[in-house]
Amino acid sequence: MMKRLLFLIVAVCLAPDADAQPFMTESGHAEFTSSVPLHTFTGTSEQLAGMINLADSTVDFYVDLTTFDTGISKRDKDMRRTLNTDEYPFAEFYGKLVSPFDTSVSKAQPAIVEGEFTIHGITQKVKIEGTLQKTTEGLQAEASWIVNLTDYDIEPPGILFYRVDEEQKVKIKALLTPVEESSL
Amino acid sequence: MLSEKEREPVSINFFKTNVAFHMKTVISLFVILFAINTVVHAQMERKRADPDGPVEGTFWAPNIVGMGTTEQLSANNMNVTIMHSFGIATNQPVKNFFGMDIPPNVRLGLDYGITDSWSLGIGRTTFDKVVDIRTKLALLRQTKTSSVPVSLSMKADVGLTTQENGRPVGDDLNYFVSVIAARKFGNQLSVQAAPMYAHFTTALLPQGGVNNLFAIGLGAEYHLTDRYAVSAEYYPVIGERNEGTNNAFALALNIETGGHVFQLFLASANWHTEQYILARNNDEFWAGDFRFGFNVNRLFFLGRN
Repeated sequence: MMKRLLFLIVAVCLAPDADAQPFMTESGHAEFTSSVPLHTFTGTSEQLAGMINLADSTVDFYVDLTTFDTGISKRDKDMRRTLNTDEYPFAEFYGKLVSPFDTSVSKAQPAIVEGEFTIHGITQKVKIEGTLQKTTEGLQAEASWIVNLTDYDIEPPGILFYRVDEEQKVKIKALLTPVEESSL
Repeated sequence: MLSEKEREPVSINFFKTNVAFHMKTVISLFVILFAINTVVHAQMERKRADPDGPVEGTFWAPNIVGMGTTEQLSANNMNVTIMHSFGIATNQPVKNFFGMDIPPNVRLGLDYGITDSWSLGIGRTTFDKVVDIRTKLALLRQTKTSSVPVSLSMKADVGLTTQENGRPVGDDLNYFVSVIAARKFGNQLSVQAAPMYAHFTTALLPQGGVNNLFAIGLGAEYHLTDRYAVSAEYYPVIGERNEGTNNAFALALNIETGGHVFQLFLASANWHTEQYILARNNDEFWAGDFRFGFNVNRLFFLGRN
């Protein structure tokens, strides 16, 4: 009887149910747009990694900052130096989906996540609004928000009056596909 | 011998104890498994895209002052350089306004990154109206984990004296080749050693000159902040040298502004290519024979923005 009970507990604890199945990606799109006087430029990465677990509402995204490409290698190097990517390689968000999400609806639904965003070794609590859509392939997530560099102890690069705006517009877009727990 | 009545309570007690023990185990197991399951859901492992990528910013510019560095232009990047040196600052400093009244030697140059590892360049120097074509090839790049401990580049330069002199073109050529080995230590200090060879045709030699010159160029750059760095270069000539020449030395302050690197320097030589620095430097830095100069490096990107 005890063996059966143990087996049951193990099975209950470890076996995934349909809702517990997380959705993941390692090839999401992330971009930031910076402004300098008379000019804007965008850095993009196609290596955004993310996981959304609807069972416990966990939302976890990170991107290796060295994968951002602004189109000019010197500018990329300057960006990596400004962000000190050797010491702080990731920009990451970890939090919870706090808005309701109906998996039976196929159109994009507004989604709100709350949690911690970390970059340059500094963590701030954030609330980000975006959309979440259940598709046949998985979950399509999109969001955009403003990151103020000074909140993360990042000095906007530049010289004299020619300086990168401290407000950076950040966007992410990712299709997360269902994965088995064992592959996590 | 115990009777049945006496034995029964012992058995029940044992059973109760055993069940209690097992229930504790089961509850503990439940808690542990629940915790494991929660952890599995918790956070993804953070993985770096390229943990052993190349070390960046070993030097801020393609030259320390005149000496080539292992810093390589990326593909489609063009670096425009203005290299400018005045006369000796300490020779009648007031009369010559610290050498600035003496005609300067200026080299205007363009270098272009064909690939991330190979660049081509052209430049023109005021003195002797020398036009030079140069190339630099990155052979190795130091990696963050030191799986490749040094960066290694090869540089070659061919100069042509275009000053009218009635000589055949072949007599006006000079050649230079070097292998540059550099290493960045931590975030601030970079050093390099560059065995180098220069060849001048006999027609170009000054009196008492030699055709072939060897040296081990030494250079270093120390990053004070993200904006400022100090650097130095030294050219000890090994073996035969041109009569009256000295080992050249230069000291520079580098100012990085994003698209520009400004280099303000004090140097003994008033030339801007290595072969001429080896062959024509008559001044001795530590004896006070130095001149003020500056390099402006401006990077342009010619591909997708």
